[in-house]
Amino acid sequence: MRAKILLSILLLVLVFFPTFAGPYALSVATLILFFAYAGQAWNVMMGFAGQLSLGHSLYVGVGAYAAAGLYFHTGLGAWAGIWLAILLCMLLGAAIGFLAFRFGISGVYFALLTIAFAEFTRIGFDHIQWLGGPGGLFIKVEHRTGWDLVNLRGTPAMFYYVMLALCALAFIFCFLLLKSKAGYYWQAIRENEEAAQALGINTFRWKMLAVVISSAMTSVAGVFYAFYYNNLFPEQIFHISRSIEIILGPIIGGIGTLFGPILGAAVLILLSDGITEGLAALGWEFPGVKQVFYGLVLLVVVMFLPRGIWPALARRLGVGK
Amino acid sequence: MDRRQFSKTLAAAGAASALSPFGILRAQSQRLKVGVILPRSGVQGFIGQSCQKGADLAPGVIREMLGVDIELMNADWESNVDTARTRAERLIQEGAHVLVGPFDSGAATAIAQVAEQRGVPFVINIAAAPPITEQGYKFVFRNFQTAGDIVRNGLALIGDLFRATNTVPRTAVFMHVNDTFGQAMARGIGAILPTQTQLPFKIVETISYDPAAKDLTVEIGKAKATNADFLLLVCRLNDAILLRREMVKQRWYPMGVISPGSPGMYEEQFFKALGKHSEHCISNVPWYNPNAELTKVVEKAFLKQNPKDKLVFHGLNAGFTFEAILIAADSYKRARSTEPKTLAEAIRQTNITSKMMLGGPIKFNAKGQVEGIGSACLQNLNLVPTVVLPQAAATAKPVFPMPRA
Repeated sequence: MRAKILLSILLLVLVFFPTFAGPYALSVATLILFFAYAGQAWNVMMGFAGQLSLGHSLYVGVGAYAAAGLYFHTGLGAWAGIWLAILLCMLLGAAIGFLAFRFGISGVYFALLTIAFAEFTRIGFDHIQWLGGPGGLFIKVEHRTGWDLVNLRGTPAMFYYVMLALCALAFIFCFLLLKSKAGYYWQAIRENEEAAQALGINTFRWKMLAVVISSAMTSVAGVFYAFYYNNLFPEQIFHISRSIEIILGPIIGGIGTLFGPILGAAVLILLSDGITEGLAALGWEFPGVKQVFYGLVLLVVVMFLPRGIWPALARRLGVGK
Repeated sequence: MDRRQFSKTLAAAGAASALSPFGILRAQSQRLKVGVILPRSGVQGFIGQSCQKGADLAPGVIREMLGVDIELMNADWESNVDTARTRAERLIQEGAHVLVGPFDSGAATAIAQVAEQRGVPFVINIAAAPPITEQGYKFVFRNFQTAGDIVRNGLALIGDLFRATNTVPRTAVFMHVNDTFGQAMARGIGAILPTQTQLPFKIVETISYDPAAKDLTVEIGKAKATNADFLLLVCRLNDAILLRREMVKQRWYPMGVISPGSPGMYEEQFFKALGKHSEHCISNVPWYNPNAELTKVVEKAFLKQNPKDKLVFHGLNAGFTFEAILIAADSYKRARSTEPKTLAEAIRQTNITSKMMLGGPIKFNAKGQVEGIGSACLQNLNLVPTVVLPQAAATAKPVFPMPRA
């Protein structure tokens, strides 16, 4: 009950946030929601099913390019492109999953495989001139005061609400997944794959399902990214640093928890901006010093809260994980 | 103070700082507030800090020149496009009248959208992707060459170099880094070179290499085997050093090493690492006019602020950043207002003839792009990148073919 009340309050605050927040706060909040959503998608694969992916930028990038390319060349809006993005990323996820699970690749070797796929896709996109190649793909920017949800063109508030809706849907979807047969099977696989197999669980099939769902969800984040920033460069979107950014939220917040990715993304981005503000207030002008502080704080979190912030906080609040 | 009191104080301080972004306005001043967004940390940090030197000297020089007071509001976008967008929002919220930056096309596009949505003028110092000024923006202006112009001017200067030195090289081997930048340049050269019929040479072989390569023995061996007259090179800093060292090792002495528009060979580290072997390499890049009056003023201010440094090693970065702020100040002086639309209109009407960088006057076309920005043929002479072409801006004569070391 307490959890439901807290969740309702949070949702209420988030729904009314644009009415009292300035544009800067809104852009920060949109970024938090973006990483919360992408982190939630990654969490399905790692947090639920225990398959470590370090190449989720692949799905963000392919999703972004699929929708943006379709819009750029045919004028078909984001809500048409989203299906193409999902389909392509599901196929990619299935291909990676099949290669790995069929041939018994797991753990760090699976993680390496995901990095490799992201990396050679980046190189591949550098050579696709139809999508701008290394020079980047630029979507025509239109200055609109209204909301065009079909084409994902509109004000920053619209993008905020789109991301909020996606986060809420992902949260509910993941909650249902965790409570479903798949969720229990995934957790069994995560804890001990051999034992799960011995119990008759078709681990190949359920791991494949986790990869496909996770990649499909991540592709939607890519579609959002493309229409929010309106430009895509293979070097930036497929870069491993983007994958790391995606996974940091759930790791700091709490892997395998529903609220961890959201809390982790919020903590990381607010911490990052907070340090910038703090240093500016102190009049410190040392480029890079923020990264040092940021690293130190992360180190402290990892040392004292190795399971993430949310499990400890949940205990204090007296709510479930 | 006990632990509880400390926690309360910390919480209060946290709340105060957390609330500050939520639209609390600060008192307006009479000064032009310029939000300078540069990548001062992260992978592009080195270049961002170089640009920052141009920004730091601008208020003093411009006060002397135009009598305009400028307040710089510096922001680091950390070589991360997401941060670029939020930093732009933050600067506008803090009262920036105009934004300047950011040395990157992706970041420029992200900031441009914020500037356009918020109706705040944005003057791009360095970013070459052509689509940035093809979007119909009303508040976005660029005083830098587009990628195509960089290649076109770079190749044209190669022709000028041959004419000036009465040489007619017939063949070139083209080497380029195979990263995003190198591939984009290679495509540009592939598209533009056939249209430059005045150029006497043809490319006999194209060799790409990894920018992180630790050894270029094979690549240089291959290039040497082509027996090409000169090396056409698109490089970055580290690989340029490695490549030049390997050329010396393999005793390959082509007529010259010429870059049609890439960094690397005119940077300070290149000279420090190679010493005399850095000599006579040529880079055709957008550059400042060393003979311009404004350059002399800027150079003096630069030396005052950076006594151990030389402007010539920050020419492109500091020069274009300074000019972007100059454009903003000049427009503010004419507009006599910081009202965004009035300021943007004044920027559109800019006509600065007394400028630092090469090329015609700073005048924006209907799309917000300055046309006619020039490039210089920079040759490393006496361990300093020296303008040898165009003749009007040259401080030395080109040496081509390069003498054997």
